[in-house]
Amino acid sequence: MAVASLSRALRSLSLSWPALLPTQTAGQTVRQAQTSSMFPPLTCSGWRGFMTTACLEQNRNAWKQREKYTIRPIGMKKTGGRDHSGRVRTHGIGGGHKQRYRWIDFQRLRYEPGREEQTFEERVMEVRYDPCRSAEIALVAGGKRKRWIIATENMQVGDLIKTSGTIGRMAVSAKEGDSFPLGALPVGTLVNNLELYPGKGATYIRAAGTSGVLLRKVNGTAIVQLPSKQQIQVIETCMVTVGRVSNIDHNKRIIGKAGRNRWLGIRPSSGLWKRKGGWAGRKIKPLPPMKSYINLPSVSAN
Amino acid sequence: MFKETAQLFKAAAPLLAKTTLLKEVRISSTHGGSSVHGHRYFNVTCSICAKVPPRKKPRVKVDIPGLERITYGDRMHYVPGLAKPSFPTWVRDWNDPSHYYAPKEEEMPLHKEKSCFVFNQRTNALEGVRQALWLTKSKLTKGLPDQVLLLAENEANQIENQDERVQNAIRHARFWDTTEERPSREKFCVALLRSLIHLCGSLQVSHPGLGRRILAEKYSLAATWSRGEDLFQVRGQNGLLLNSMAPLPVLAGKEEVQSTADHVLETFYPISPTIDLQSVQVYEEQNHTGFKEDYPYPHAHTLFLLEAGDTPVTLLPEQLRAKMIMFAFGNALARAHTLHGTKPGVLEQPIVVQSVATNGRMFQYVVFQLNTTDLQADEGVKNQVWVENDQLLYDFAKVRPLIKKRVVQIPPGLSGYKPETFQKFLSLYLHGAV
Repeated sequence: MAVASLSRALRSLSLSWPALLPTQTAGQTVRQAQTSSMFPPLTCSGWRGFMTTACLEQNRNAWKQREKYTIRPIGMKKTGGRDHSGRVRTHGIGGGHKQRYRWIDFQRLRYEPGREEQTFEERVMEVRYDPCRSAEIALVAGGKRKRWIIATENMQVGDLIKTSGTIGRMAVSAKEGDSFPLGALPVGTLVNNLELYPGKGATYIRAAGTSGVLLRKVNGTAIVQLPSKQQIQVIETCMVTVGRVSNIDHNKRIIGKAGRNRWLGIRPSSGLWKRKGGWAGRKIKPLPPMKSYINLPSVSAN
Repeated sequence: MFKETAQLFKAAAPLLAKTTLLKEVRISSTHGGSSVHGHRYFNVTCSICAKVPPRKKPRVKVDIPGLERITYGDRMHYVPGLAKPSFPTWVRDWNDPSHYYAPKEEEMPLHKEKSCFVFNQRTNALEGVRQALWLTKSKLTKGLPDQVLLLAENEANQIENQDERVQNAIRHARFWDTTEERPSREKFCVALLRSLIHLCGSLQVSHPGLGRRILAEKYSLAATWSRGEDLFQVRGQNGLLLNSMAPLPVLAGKEEVQSTADHVLETFYPISPTIDLQSVQVYEEQNHTGFKEDYPYPHAHTLFLLEAGDTPVTLLPEQLRAKMIMFAFGNALARAHTLHGTKPGVLEQPIVVQSVATNGRMFQYVVFQLNTTDLQADEGVKNQVWVENDQLLYDFAKVRPLIKKRVVQIPPGLSGYKPETFQKFLSLYLHGAV
């Protein structure tokens, strides 16, 4: 017992954990059980239910929750395709170069406070690469504000671009980069950054080098052909940008090696052999019917 | 038990010295040895690691007037079907400075309806000099005025061994001040400017007027004016200010001042002149030079700005010149307001303020002459600005040579010293004392 107390005293003197041989570690628990009746346990493992670390919420997206618009690049957190619970939601995502998010204002017809319902112009200050999308982006300044928008094909620094929300009797002769409601444009115009509902912000035709065609205008609606050749019908007050989205050579770039895809944050597919399905053979399908995004009130409603 | 512990002690004693073994032992003991550590305490971890769904939008509560919700507030426990009670927020009825909440902006005593646009030292004006010219209603002239430039060309006004001593000042800032290969910009920028000012100050022997100056750091400026429909302010700390007892002589005569009335200010149409200025609603319309009334050196002489890259906002040369113009103007305007009151009008005796900015290699010079404080309309007499931009003091100062393809591109040491840049610096310093 005397030696035991001596060893305890020496152990308390040394700052590090008591050194034990692996063969002697098995005896540690036995010894602890014997000594614990006399001395309180010194190690942390003796505490039940006591945790010094806490798991934080997975994949927090606090960086996305912003109230006020900013043109500053926002630091992003990589999710690796995982959702809030930590499970894989999307396969094939992970790694890659660190990227920062530049907040694009997709609602082109966003009036400045105090200047509602007026046509306004903006000047292009910068056209640059954006890691978060295939198209290039442009910093435009007008009035008291600056914002990022998707650049069109021939947009250059110093250009003046116009945004108007009015639909006149005559179709306008629009310059590339200008933004108008679909109803104001002549039939056959190449358009991009298409809104599905007025004021919602552009959701279609935003990828590099794409453009849609304004096919027809039928009593208050407009029919647009998407890059996939599908036709959709939207209300004619939906805003579009005239022209083609920038970075038209995006599909011609050569990835070159598997590692470059990893730089872009794309992981290889699983490698498991899968039998080809019905999609693999030759087929010619008719285009799906025209999709309508017009919520007209039904006749029976009134 | 005696035997066991004795063995343990014997075995452990020589091991105490061998740290490498110690580590292995420790790892093995935590992993394999203790079965207690691997446990998950579900009563704890379940609550911590629970799945947290993405934030939901808060439900909209509809309040029907005349109807009162039945809540479970009286019962003091949750009852299904009854509404959640909402209690008034508890307000501390004593003053606790550590839990102070500022009042809402609208309830602050200085809150005003009309917003004011503030230019401070962190303002990165998008349009640069053009914007500064519009805000200060000024006419730009490229290059410094002749009467200033002539000062340093005179042999009598030059320092003894001028070029050598300036080169030594550069070497001091870039090489002798540090043991590193390249001192940081925030270090050599300050060192260079300080030694150049010191070098100019050594002329006090021949020009006693230079003794009637003082250098002020961290002074805070406030100047208010209205331009067009908006109210503007230049605010806050900005740089080193060289004050003097006597005002600077006027650079442009009365006729030249009158002729500026024909000048048309440049506009930059789709962009508003107030872009990038801080818009505030809580402000005080203040005009203050930053010094007390009885300060013996009331006249701002030269404002030295450092672009050392140690501030959160790094300005491009164009934006830096805009900042120089704005703060030189602010100093002059604050002085004019203290002299003649805040009533706008054409000044009989224009006020001249100079400004020098550097990033340790490139120098920018600005001379500002405040002719009028009537800035409301675009017509009438304008203020005048002389700008000398992008003057290199030296091309390179390198400890190691830059070698490309076995050819020395840039030799080590100081290369490409340009004496004209320092001459302009000296002439701005001597201005008003010769």
